Amino acid sequence: MGDTDEEKTWVLQSRNGDPAAFESLIRAHQCMIHSLTFRMTGSMADAEDLAQEAFIRAYRQLDSYQGTAKFSSWLYRIAVNACLNWRQREMRRDQIYTQWAESNAVSQSEPGPDAPGWEVPAALMKLPAKQRAAIVLTVYDGHNHAEAAKILGCSETTVSWRVFAARRKLKRLLSAKGGSNE
Amino acid sequence: MNDFDLEQKLKAVRVPEREEDYWESFPRLVSAKLRTTPARRPVGEQHWPPRLAWGGGIAFACLLIGFAIGHWHGRMEKNDPYALLQNGKMLREVLTLFPNRVRAIIQDEHGVQLVLSDQSDIPASTPIYVHICDGKQCSSLVTFSGQELEIAGRKVTVLLDAQDGVIVAGPQFAWSSDQPAGASSGLKIEARSLSSITL
Repeated sequence: MGDTDEEKTWVLQSRNGDPAAFESLIRAHQCMIHSLTFRMTGSMADAEDLAQEAFIRAYRQLDSYQGTAKFSSWLYRIAVNACLNWRQREMRRDQIYTQWAESNAVSQSEPGPDAPGWEVPAALMKLPAKQRAAIVLTVYDGHNHAEAAKILGCSETTVSWRVFAARRKLKRLLSAKGGSNE
Repeated sequence: MNDFDLEQKLKAVRVPEREEDYWESFPRLVSAKLRTTPARRPVGEQHWPPRLAWGGGIAFACLLIGFAIGHWHGRMEKNDPYALLQNGKMLREVLTLFPNRVRAIIQDEHGVQLVLSDQSDIPASTPIYVHICDGKQCSSLVTFSGQELEIAGRKVTVLLDAQDGVIVAGPQFAWSSDQPAGASSGLKIEARSLSSITL
């Protein structure tokens, strides 16, 4: 399914510098992008930063959007790349873990290490970024390996290997975690 | 744990909800940030001179690197023709010249080739040494996990696992240093992590 007429108009108007039109595009896709950036970072604050960065990059690259692919796919690809290239991510992640480890209090917006279901995001965060992206794209966002390869700019074989390696590691991490909890 | 259990466990985790106010204010926040950053350049107004200068700079640096590598190569090939690629000093200098841009240094019958990324998007990680022979045609290279390269006429992806094991995968084969006798489609492969080299 292609873009709606309304969306095509917003893209056109945004290209001509209409901020309200670009805000409409953001409004239409912000949930999808936040969901992706949260899965990739495991942090609400980092997810917000990266979502902002993705939309800013998209705005700056609007001229390169040909309209042959869906706008959402084009934007999604920009967000994935922003996640993979975000160099501060690892440092901030370590900081967050340290803070969580030191505090027993679980805030309302940010899950803590002892929160129910936290072991899965924690295990995801232990994967290399590219393996994590392969899992987020295929498991959470429902892309097949060919689509994920297109988004990540690599071959289908590479995606298959990343998914395979990530699953192997996740099984190990989650089995160990489950065993100690039960 | 099987694949189904893992899938269920992964999918059970939901993205935390945000307040309605957040979704209302987020687009305005991005707009405000866009106003404080330089405007988009209209189509056609591309800045070619800096690009040309950058390209020229890269080409010149590649020439210098080629000369330096050739010099090292000449000194080393009498002992081990592939010792150059495992030389920590050479690797460090190349990586310093092109931070986060070196995808691979490949050595084959045509000489030594430096493969660079267009952007600084290659994360600093443990270098991996790979030697591949397809019949009499051999290539050696140093690369980093996740890189997809064309070696001996085949596209391969080199990966490093958490235990420092190397996986070399192509469209019709997959080789792992844990199981070096595994399917490698007629290729002779040796690979190891160069974790002993301090970068």
